[in-house]
Amino acid sequence: MSKYKESEYLELATFYVGEALCGIDILNIQEINKQFDFTTIPQSDDFVKGVLNLRGRIVTILDLGKKLGLSPVKKHKNNRNIIVNFHDEQIGLLVDKISDVIVAKKNELDSPPANLGGIQGSYFENIVKTEKTLIGILDIDTVLTTD
Amino acid sequence: MFFEDDETLQMYVEESLEHLADIETDLLAMEEQGEEIDEELVNNVFRAAHSVKGGAGFMGLDVIKELSHNLENILGLIRDKELMPSSEIISVLLKSFDRLQELISNIETSNDQNIDEYITDLKNITNDTLPDAEKKAIEEVCEIKHPMSATALKSNRYDIEQAKKQGKFIYILEYDLIHDIHKKDKNPLEVINSLLKSGIILDCKVDISYVGTLEDDIPNRIPFVILFASIIEPDMAPILVDLDAEYVFNISDDKLPEQEEETQATPEKQETASEKEKNETENFPNSEKTAPPVEKEEEPEQHAKKGSESQDSEKKSASISQPPSKTSSQPQANSSEKSNSHPENDQQDTQDDAAKKTISSLRVNVNLLDSLMNLAGELVLSRNQLIQGLTSSNQHNIESASQRIDMITSELQEAIMQTRMQPISNVFNKFSRVVRDLSQTLGKEIALELEGKHVELDKTIIESINDPLTHLVRNSVDHGIESPDVREKAGKPRQGTINLKAYHEAGQVNIEIEDDGGGIDPEKISAAAVKKGVITEQEANLLSDKDKANLIFAPGFSTAEEITDVSGRGVGMDVVKSNLERLGGIIDIDSRVGIGTSLKIKLPLTLAIIPSQIISAGHEKYAIPQVNLDELLRIPAGDIKEKIEKVGDAAVVRLRGMLLPLIKLSDVLGIEKTYKDPETGEIKPDRRSNVADRRSKDLFNPNDNNNFSEEEINERKESDRRYHAASAINIAVVSAGTFRYGLIVDDLMDSEEIVVKPLGKHVKNCKGYAGATIMGDGKVALILDVASIAEMSQLSTASSSKKIAEEKEKMDSSSERLKDQASLLLFRNGEDEQLAVPLNLVQRIERIKSTDIEVVGGQRVVQYRGGSLPLHELGEVANVQPLPEHEKIEVIVFQLTGREVGLMVSPPVDAVDVVLSVDEETLRQPGIIGSLIIHDMTTLMVDVYEFFKTLHPEWYTEKEHAVNIDPETGESGNVKILFAEDSSFFRNQVKGFLEEDGYDVTIAEDGEVAWNIINSEENDFNLILTDLEMPNMDGFQLTAKIKNDNRFSGKPVVALTSLAGEGDIEKGKSVGIDDYQIKLDREQLLLTIKNYLN
Repeated sequence: MSKYKESEYLELATFYVGEALCGIDILNIQEINKQFDFTTIPQSDDFVKGVLNLRGRIVTILDLGKKLGLSPVKKHKNNRNIIVNFHDEQIGLLVDKISDVIVAKKNELDSPPANLGGIQGSYFENIVKTEKTLIGILDIDTVLTTD
Repeated sequence: MFFEDDETLQMYVEESLEHLADIETDLLAMEEQGEEIDEELVNNVFRAAHSVKGGAGFMGLDVIKELSHNLENILGLIRDKELMPSSEIISVLLKSFDRLQELISNIETSNDQNIDEYITDLKNITNDTLPDAEKKAIEEVCEIKHPMSATALKSNRYDIEQAKKQGKFIYILEYDLIHDIHKKDKNPLEVINSLLKSGIILDCKVDISYVGTLEDDIPNRIPFVILFASIIEPDMAPILVDLDAEYVFNISDDKLPEQEEETQATPEKQETASEKEKNETENFPNSEKTAPPVEKEEEPEQHAKKGSESQDSEKKSASISQPPSKTSSQPQANSSEKSNSHPENDQQDTQDDAAKKTISSLRVNVNLLDSLMNLAGELVLSRNQLIQGLTSSNQHNIESASQRIDMITSELQEAIMQTRMQPISNVFNKFSRVVRDLSQTLGKEIALELEGKHVELDKTIIESINDPLTHLVRNSVDHGIESPDVREKAGKPRQGTINLKAYHEAGQVNIEIEDDGGGIDPEKISAAAVKKGVITEQEANLLSDKDKANLIFAPGFSTAEEITDVSGRGVGMDVVKSNLERLGGIIDIDSRVGIGTSLKIKLPLTLAIIPSQIISAGHEKYAIPQVNLDELLRIPAGDIKEKIEKVGDAAVVRLRGMLLPLIKLSDVLGIEKTYKDPETGEIKPDRRSNVADRRSKDLFNPNDNNNFSEEEINERKESDRRYHAASAINIAVVSAGTFRYGLIVDDLMDSEEIVVKPLGKHVKNCKGYAGATIMGDGKVALILDVASIAEMSQLSTASSSKKIAEEKEKMDSSSERLKDQASLLLFRNGEDEQLAVPLNLVQRIERIKSTDIEVVGGQRVVQYRGGSLPLHELGEVANVQPLPEHEKIEVIVFQLTGREVGLMVSPPVDAVDVVLSVDEETLRQPGIIGSLIIHDMTTLMVDVYEFFKTLHPEWYTEKEHAVNIDPETGESGNVKILFAEDSSFFRNQVKGFLEEDGYDVTIAEDGEVAWNIINSEENDFNLILTDLEMPNMDGFQLTAKIKNDNRFSGKPVVALTSLAGEGDIEKGKSVGIDDYQIKLDREQLLLTIKNYLN
């Protein structure tokens, strides 16, 4: 329930992947949870952590760190799964730690650099500057597209 | 149209398509019937066309109306026996109905379509049939004016004449759309349909002029007028049609226009058809084409393609001169923008689209819906019960409620599944047409036989197998069945047969496509595959014939020299296979060159919920669909060394004589193998690397008493986990298509019905999994894809099958050499004595209490089955140890000379198959034939006959020598038998009791010797007895020689064998063996011989 006008603002859920602080438009996010009892899938790609039973649906959980080309997410009590909607499935992204939900003005977004925190620029749609830091807004489609 | 009702239109479409669905079959049936037309059948088709026409008239679907009208004419002629349905006519009808179906499926664009070609063809037929006067009548359109208004309906004179001839009355019925139909909650289609039941609708239309413009007041009456012909009397008519009498106008003869009419031509309203008329033209911009029969060639010049909008809008105007385009049929208004399609349209596409569009609704049996309602109700009740139980914490109630819910859920699932079940006839019926058309095109004669049309399949499966099946059937017609000439030359009937069979078996639906065509040549296929680079030449050499035939399913394969339109695009078979596999089914091919091909498809009954076997490997559970599962095997620790062998470096297990390759699931998946600790129940890693890794049994040979004491050995065994029950090997025998293998898993769990859920994109490409499911405990279990697991472990058919085939051959040939296998019953007498008797002599094995034994007249007996069974022990005849005293005694019951006797023995009593290489000398003694080694122990072979004969000589009376009177010479002499047998053991045995029975027996050590003896003509034998497996010439060859030689062909030949497999019996029959007898079954053999000699 955003009190901000849809057209002007963007609400982002931010989180850490490795050292990089990234964001995803909350409109793309289904939920964030702490379910880690995934069923592993032997012989799958190495960024696939496994699958989860999410209220009757089978959701694939990916290690976002690995998927973005960084080192795998280290197991920690701060880990969370961010479940996003992608085409007609739901996919979970395992991240190191979540941070705040911030609001950004759409016209204050910049285009991404070639590299942010070790992650390739092509994964980002935009970046937003806050007082303290830069947040890269992930382009879900690019991140999740399989070759 | 007033209603503008997509709903009504949709209903019309659905109903029409339903009517048309059966037409194809009916037309084909009509074609076959030829002269003896079944009136019912024709009526069916007629009515279908008629109701399509009726509704079309109402809806303003003029093109459809015209086409169906013409069809109706022809069918009417056929029905009245004025026209015989020849093949050509049926073909035209079929094509036209196809087009009609297309038009209806694409109803919005139907009025833009061009159907001239069809109309001409149809008209040609009618014209050829009718006498001239009537021809004119068809052309001639009469306008019949509504008595009270300006509305005019039209019909062609011919119809009116026909109706009058049949004694029908012509009425104009005026329904008020508002009052009579809309308000009464009826529906115009229903009205039309009910009218159709009692008469013929010649024409109908809605008088749209009444609607007026937007500025007028809302009308309170919108007339829907119908020109109706019926035998119903005028006074009954209003009641029948449910109208006030004032709206029913009887058009008596005088009101009917007598001659041609006065309707003006409206030249600018060019019809799409050619217009050279000399006859009256019409004012119906709609569709009545009064074009007289035109030469077909002229057609194309004439007609204007209906692309232009102006034509459309003209056509749309209702038959009333008022210009009402705003209210004219909406669907057509929309369609003017759509481009029109060629009449030669890719029929396939539109048909497919049509098919997809219309399968949005389903027919369901009302009873089924009722039971669904009931079940839903019961579910509600049980749920209430459950909730109550939970809130009041009443364990008992909760349990009983959950039991009920369990039951109801299963029933509900089944009932819902059934609503989706449709008979496969939907798919099969189309094939008659496909085969007919295709065989005509290719000039072949083919008959199609359908079996099992009632078999039901889930709707989605039916939709999905349509294409693959069509492809396979077309393949059969194209590549399978040869042309009639080729067939004749090959000695086959000119007409080929394709058999389509569907049946339920083992929880699956089986569909078989069998043809008696040329079969599939494995060599050709394999050569083509190598040529196309599908496999390499080396790989090809490794394949068995069956594998080669299966190559047709490989991607990129096609043997057709050119890509014909019919098949041969090289994308066919593998797409078929993958489509079927996607449905969870499998396809197998079996073919013999020159004889035919048979394709077998197996499909699960439903897609979503499948029964499966849960297994565990690593720390996870997996599911194996039951459709792939053949059986479960457990090999106890102690047997592992024996049962599991190695072929190359693959482990195999011998299962009922067949070799089964083994795959370790944990290896394939790359996970840790675990086992369940028997004490703590924990899952621990299993470090055994070698499947057959077991300490050698020899190390613990119980006979070797030097190093270990009994207790020590036993203790060691128990504590050594390798011998523990937990270290048994669990194998799931699975099959993927025809390839079977054993999957070694950590643990076998329950079998459950699971719901298949697809895996996400990132995992889909992963090999080895066919989906996932959620178990009762909420955890996800992956469903294994048996075929790809085999591929992953590189144990595919190509590489290992050859090895396995080799092994099998070795096995077979070794069993050839080691002929004279027999089934023996092993038992003991004294502690260390193992003995054996032929199993087929054993009648029964009983266990009795030693206290039940009575001694009567010096003879031990036991009460048995209402009589007394004499009991003996081996020691009475043979020099063996005495039978130890036990409370319970095993008794082997034999039947000799019609009496039953029992032999008391010690356990263990076991059956075993061994090679009979009996040592007849060393341990020979009365009652004991000899000895052999079984299970590393010296085993004495008991001679049952001798044994009991010694004990009860009175049972065996002296037999006279069998005397034979030679019919020709009248001489009498002994009956001579020639006995060919290479094993001396059997030779002696059988000779022994044959001679006892009074026959003269001459022996031959093998077939060749036997043949020489027969040939020498010194002896004239009455019967030949032969073993089958002999070195130089076996029993089959010997028999063949005997039977083919006129001198001896009359002699009976009895084969003695330890094998009596089906294949051998067949083989034997084919060479002429008269009877098969099992060796060592003395009584039976003697009886048989006696029979043959008489």
